Amino acid sequence: MIAIIFNEWKILVRNRSIVYVSLIFILSIISLAWMSNLQSESQSKAQAAAEKHIRSQWDNLEPMNPHRAAHYGVYVFKPISILNSLDDGVSSITGNVLKLEGHVQNEIVHSEASQSITISKFGKLKPSIILQYVVPLFLIFLSFGSITNDKETGRMKLIVLQGVSPEKLVLSKSISIWLYGLMLIMFSVLLQSLLGSLALDAGSRLGLTFISYGLYYLIVVCLSTFISVSFRNNTSAISLLLATWIVWTIFLPKIWGNTVEKVHPLPSRQNFIAQMREDRSKGIDGHNPRDERRSKLEKEYLVKYKVDSLSQLPINFDGIVMQADEEYGNQVWDKHFGNNYLIYQKQKKLYQLSGLLNPFSSLQNLSMGFCGSDMIHHLDFLKKAENYRRYLIKTLNDKHAHGGSRTGEWRWTVDNTFFRSVKTFDYQTMLIKNHIGNYLFDILALIAWAIFAGSLMRYKIKRDILL
Amino acid sequence: MISLKNITKSFGGFEAVKNLSIEINEGEIYGLLGSNGAGKSTTINILLGFLEPDEGEAFIDGIDVTANEDSARKKIGYISENVNLYHYLTGIENLNYFCKIAGEDYNDKALSKILNNCGLDSDVINKKVGSYSKGMRQKVGIAIAFAKKAKVLLLDEPASGLDPLASTELSSTLKSLAKKGNAVLMASHDIFRVRETCDRIGILKNGSLIDQMDTSKVTTNELEKIYIDYMRD
Repeated sequence: MIAIIFNEWKILVRNRSIVYVSLIFILSIISLAWMSNLQSESQSKAQAAAEKHIRSQWDNLEPMNPHRAAHYGVYVFKPISILNSLDDGVSSITGNVLKLEGHVQNEIVHSEASQSITISKFGKLKPSIILQYVVPLFLIFLSFGSITNDKETGRMKLIVLQGVSPEKLVLSKSISIWLYGLMLIMFSVLLQSLLGSLALDAGSRLGLTFISYGLYYLIVVCLSTFISVSFRNNTSAISLLLATWIVWTIFLPKIWGNTVEKVHPLPSRQNFIAQMREDRSKGIDGHNPRDERRSKLEKEYLVKYKVDSLSQLPINFDGIVMQADEEYGNQVWDKHFGNNYLIYQKQKKLYQLSGLLNPFSSLQNLSMGFCGSDMIHHLDFLKKAENYRRYLIKTLNDKHAHGGSRTGEWRWTVDNTFFRSVKTFDYQTMLIKNHIGNYLFDILALIAWAIFAGSLMRYKIKRDILL
Repeated sequence: MISLKNITKSFGGFEAVKNLSIEINEGEIYGLLGSNGAGKSTTINILLGFLEPDEGEAFIDGIDVTANEDSARKKIGYISENVNLYHYLTGIENLNYFCKIAGEDYNDKALSKILNNCGLDSDVINKKVGSYSKGMRQKVGIAIAFAKKAKVLLLDEPASGLDPLASTELSSTLKSLAKKGNAVLMASHDIFRVRETCDRIGILKNGSLIDQMDTSKVTTNELEKIYIDYMRD
């Protein structure tokens, strides 16, 4: 088997067309990874500079009322992972700047797509596009050519007569083509490691990415071999292979994606915002409106401090009301965003099911996931940013309430010693080992497909005499 | 050495070979003459173990091909009409590869010698096979069979498309292999080449062996007349 694999590689290396195509792949991967990395680096630098500037502004705020500072707010930036330059997933359309302030949860803005007509129209060219679309197509042609050429020319007979079983021959050929695919993905993975500092989590992510692509390429090679062996008519075989590739990469993802959105629809942006506003002012589901909440809270505090009026309170009741309203707003946000989050989860689970029909979907999910650029990672950032917003606003409201001012003293101020004591938002990308469960179905779907495709190929070779 | 006993093979309703029996001895070259579709390739494929006969038995050096195809194949060298080697490898690399997968290990010197013995000059054996003529590729094919120490040589239309010199060289190579004890079955519709190369000839028509003769007893013209008469009937 090793002699056959070695020979197949020798032929691949000596075939100038294949060498040129491989060089084009490698140069494309290098240039795309390099450009993406440059862009990521410059974006990271710009983000770091902006973060520093914003923190410096915050640290040097003029003496002001803490609640005014809550309106002043802060900006946080979604960091760019180094693996983003391998697969940017949904990053270019989800935005990366978020303003955190009191009373309101803003939407994340400044997506790359919103700033570039080309990206919104055609998507961004990343090494993942080559590895997901172009390389498998080339593997299809290589597998098809390798089998049909030997079949047509009668060389297969000559090899089998030398004592090599058809099963071993086809298996060795398929392995050699698979190894070619693995070489390209290994090259991309190593390139990513060289371009960025490789922390343990990034290393695990690259390892998992390599395994995912490796499994997908195995499926492509085994199915291509199976179809090439099955059909006597080569035109039918190559047509079926190309049709499968088109259905997998273009039609099924779109059809399934649209179906998922129909089955588990997200509320429109307008409805979402309107509902949040209504719930916040009139109370969740129409119960407990703002005025009632305030008078209930007032009574509670008057009883608590055993006083008759707000002016007698030793604290600033406005800060208490502000925080209570904030917490109520948080509940409203949790209800609506939580509902959206559940819908996202349902959509993801349903979309993952398509992996049973289409291993390409599983590969895409895994590639984006392991590169940290999928919806799960985006939602994680939003969740952590919201948690920080709550910490920030509570700190400011608590100061307003308990910092020494009395109710109605809106001109009361604190100096920047207090503002400097507020912690900075320090987002850490989630560790993949803690979230691997989200991708388990996709991994299992790819493994199942690989076993299925491999079995089909072996069964067909055993059954068919290769004449 | 090669034995076909009452072989019948059908594809659907079409009988490609009918009750065919041939015995070819050690050192003998047997020519199977017939037009396209006469059943020559089917017969060779049965001997190669790629087709299973519906009836009858095929033996290579006493081994039942159907029951022990792997053992039988070890004794067979096969030259098709077009010996398709790896174009990106040289003659010597091709021979080396085919030897390796057959479990035979030769050094470069031995491989060169085999190729030289089969009629390939030293200056061409290190050139890529893509630049070889058909005749040269057939010489590599014969070298593969020789290196494998095949006792039986099966040739399917080997002279088709060869120039006269290459055809003559092929005949002499086959004769020298037969002298060493190999049994050769050559399927062809080239009357002249079969007459020049073979010791015995069988004429195959519509899957049936309709006549056999020693080549020493017929001239080329006589053989041509006999063959054409049979085909016209």
